[in-house]
Amino acid sequence: MKSQMRWLLIVLVVFVWGCAQAPAPASFRDLSFAPLEFQVPEMERLTLDNGMRLYVQEDRELPLVEVTVMIGAGSIGDPADQVGLADLYAAVLRSGGAGNRDPDALDSFLDMRAANLSAAADTHAVTLTLSLRSDDLEEGLEVLADVLRRPRFDAARLEIAQRQALEGIRRQNDDPGTLARRVLSRTLYGQHPLGRSATADSIMSIVRHDLVAFHESYAHPNNLWVGISGDFSRDGLLESLARHFGDWPAAAVRPQEIPPLAAETPASAWVVPRGLPQTTILLGEIGIDKDNPDQYALRVMNFLLGGGGFNSRLMREIRSNRGLAYSVYSFYQVGRHLPGLFIAGSETRTNAVLEVVDLKREIMTQMRDTPVAEADLSLARESLINSFVFGFTDPHAVVAMTMRLDFYDYPEDYLRAYRDHIAAVSAADVQRVARRYLNPDRQMLVLVGDVQDTASELAARGMRVEEFSLED
Amino acid sequence: MRFFIVSPRPLAVFFCLLLWVAPLWAATLEDRVITHEFDNGLKLLMVPRPEIPTFTAYITLGVGSVHETSEYRGMAHMLEHMLFKGTQTIGTTDYAKEKPLLEQIEAVGSRLDALRQRRDADSEKIAALEKELAALQHQHQQFVVKDEFARIYAEHGGTGYNAFTSRDLTTYLVSLPANKLELWAAVESDRMKNPVLREFYTEREVVMEERFRTVETNPRGLLFENLFANAFTVHPYRNPILGWRSDIENLTLAQTRDFLQRYYGPVNTVIALVGDIDPPAAVAMIERYFGDIPPGSPVPPVFHVEPPQQGERRVQVLFDAEPQLAMAFHKPTLPEFDDYVFDLVNLILGQGRTSRLHRSLVLEQQLATAVQTFITPGSRYPNLFVIAATPRHPHTTAEVEAAIYAELERLAREPVSAAELERAVNRLRTDRLRFLRSNEGLARMLTFYQSVAGDWRYVLTYDDIVAEIDAQDVMETAARWLHSGNRTVVTLERGEQQP
Repeated sequence: MKSQMRWLLIVLVVFVWGCAQAPAPASFRDLSFAPLEFQVPEMERLTLDNGMRLYVQEDRELPLVEVTVMIGAGSIGDPADQVGLADLYAAVLRSGGAGNRDPDALDSFLDMRAANLSAAADTHAVTLTLSLRSDDLEEGLEVLADVLRRPRFDAARLEIAQRQALEGIRRQNDDPGTLARRVLSRTLYGQHPLGRSATADSIMSIVRHDLVAFHESYAHPNNLWVGISGDFSRDGLLESLARHFGDWPAAAVRPQEIPPLAAETPASAWVVPRGLPQTTILLGEIGIDKDNPDQYALRVMNFLLGGGGFNSRLMREIRSNRGLAYSVYSFYQVGRHLPGLFIAGSETRTNAVLEVVDLKREIMTQMRDTPVAEADLSLARESLINSFVFGFTDPHAVVAMTMRLDFYDYPEDYLRAYRDHIAAVSAADVQRVARRYLNPDRQMLVLVGDVQDTASELAARGMRVEEFSLED
Repeated sequence: MRFFIVSPRPLAVFFCLLLWVAPLWAATLEDRVITHEFDNGLKLLMVPRPEIPTFTAYITLGVGSVHETSEYRGMAHMLEHMLFKGTQTIGTTDYAKEKPLLEQIEAVGSRLDALRQRRDADSEKIAALEKELAALQHQHQQFVVKDEFARIYAEHGGTGYNAFTSRDLTTYLVSLPANKLELWAAVESDRMKNPVLREFYTEREVVMEERFRTVETNPRGLLFENLFANAFTVHPYRNPILGWRSDIENLTLAQTRDFLQRYYGPVNTVIALVGDIDPPAAVAMIERYFGDIPPGSPVPPVFHVEPPQQGERRVQVLFDAEPQLAMAFHKPTLPEFDDYVFDLVNLILGQGRTSRLHRSLVLEQQLATAVQTFITPGSRYPNLFVIAATPRHPHTTAEVEAAIYAELERLAREPVSAAELERAVNRLRTDRLRFLRSNEGLARMLTFYQSVAGDWRYVLTYDDIVAEIDAQDVMETAARWLHSGNRTVVTLERGEQQP
């Protein structure tokens, strides 16, 4: 009691002093800050008897509920002559009606309640998201159960989805940035599923039965991860989930095969001629997967190289110092089961393409050859550690992230240990991973734009230059 | 059914804190937003949300590209880039030594610009000046601490440090850990008080690259640039935010400085702080750092008035891409009643899978793969209702266009159903809630309405007004505005571009 009183007195004195004599504004250089206390939240994980995994989080601030469902299969399993299957499955799972509702009735039901339901396939999963008002939660879960358990895959909606996919293919070269990404994936991964993209033939070879078969192979409760956050009572929600999903029996699921990557293709410059005043430039190579212990050092290295926005070397030299580009970046897609891509990208005006390519290579080479300065290293580490808290500002994002980490078998303490791993990265680590994973001599170069002069000069330097056939 | 708990740990304290926070939806938003106006005219809007120890700060100036004259086009956006370059103490090793060099650079740069504008320019003279400028710029680099704003925020865990310029306003934003409020106040007040516009000529090149990227190599960028430039003939909403290519090439440092001094004062500024903040402490902090900045003069209204359109305008854009179509109809802006009605028209026609245009063009006739509608390009002055569509081969833009007109005529002729109205009203309310989920969304909403409508409280009466709109109102509004004489149509077709 006594000590509490004294404490209160001190507070009052400080407050009065504060009022009497407001300190002058300080320069940011004179300010210091106590460390931010932030513990990674523990998420509650539940599993139904049938194997369906649940991640549940109450969040009562707004009368909304968000649901994310992952089905454990994605485009990696598309047969070579049916590339686009997982995408079409996701599209028609959503649009094709479910239970006793035909496609129009399903759309009307959701739209009347301002509920958003979407489905999309990526490499290893089909992800559904549902956002609705909490008053509509019970009906929303009923619809979700219908979509997952009783999809109709309406034939007319499949045809529409196919026609839309064909139009997407017709338009896939309209945007130079998207085109360049496609060329890079294709030239690095070749005919591996990670390098392919859908064609008119592959889309048209898919029939309704293929979607049904995909569903029967993979849409089982024991191959489902469900995250729900928002305005509900936990116990009530669990009862509803049990009602809608509890009697859904588990079934044997054979995981999709993940073909190994083919041998590395030799570095070349791939050009796509376009009459544009600016050329899109990508340099890329195959990088790392999530099980690689070097990923923390690579995060720090890439922050300094091209991931740290204005604090990165690529941005500083190419944009800020020389005014040669608006967007300059690099990143590692950390692959889940197979190594993902490293990409260093930018655009620049036609007559500066070689200068930009050379600068990028020089900056990467310097990253390999010279240890990073302590100030730079500390900036990268501090930024990654201090901004970590922002991964947790949206409760549903936390639910979805936790679920994804489990889905991909990340170590149980991945989030809790993340900041310690980053803090432990040394200048020697940064240099070691740069030497190992950053290989400017072996990278593929993709140029989309008015490339004729650049291509001749590259060829004159002895580089292999090839024109990418858009028919591929 | 039995649940097996894999991880038996209870929920972390931090999520439980959510429970005591008052709900944030419409009825209580009025109580949750704390406002303060400082003596110099600076307005502050705060919403404490202590669940997560972070906050988002928006500084919004009610100045955008609409306030530029024909001499100044692209200036508001150029200034946004320049205000990232630092102050008298940020971004420099020694401003006193740097200053004379900056003056020399400006002198040579403006001589060079003047020379380049002449038809009879001597290319040798230009080359000599270019060389001189490059040498001065090189010399200047020794005083520059590159991108120090970004470095300061990054070191302290800031995310989303950025700025954006629209036709109506300019915003500087960042999100920081909760213990860094004073850092933000120190840095941002310095940016307002002591900005130094360094590295202008290099940054002008960056802006040109930005224009190449977002417009000149981008079919949609080109489509919309042409749409706005033809729908408006007099009002400055017609001009691209970045400026036309020749505008950017000829922007001057003197004009940029003048624009800054003219408009960027507290009287035109609103700050929103949303997140883990203590409002009284935040007011005291902002008073301490921003309180001594002179108010400045209010932005004068734009006096240009777009004359009523007297007949359809049509434009064809040739580009190396598949066809696209966009059309625009003039409409009034807030707080006119028809603006509220258009929010419903927008939903009924173009938003969601059950909207009329999606149903008719995408699902039933399958003429298009996507139809979108929006209200753009600004909100401070009368604006446009825009419909954009992606035709599906082999259907043409003409077929898509005709199908759109059929729906517009129907809207002006037959009352919409009660279900459609209900659906639209529900959608407006619920999407607003979704917008409030993030600190950024709430900060954006508050600063937007404070700047454009003059008071963020505009959102408080919004739902009540919308709930009163009936089928007759929708029909009349559609008939009044969505007709051929008020229409501008732009098609993008594959073809040879002019050099």
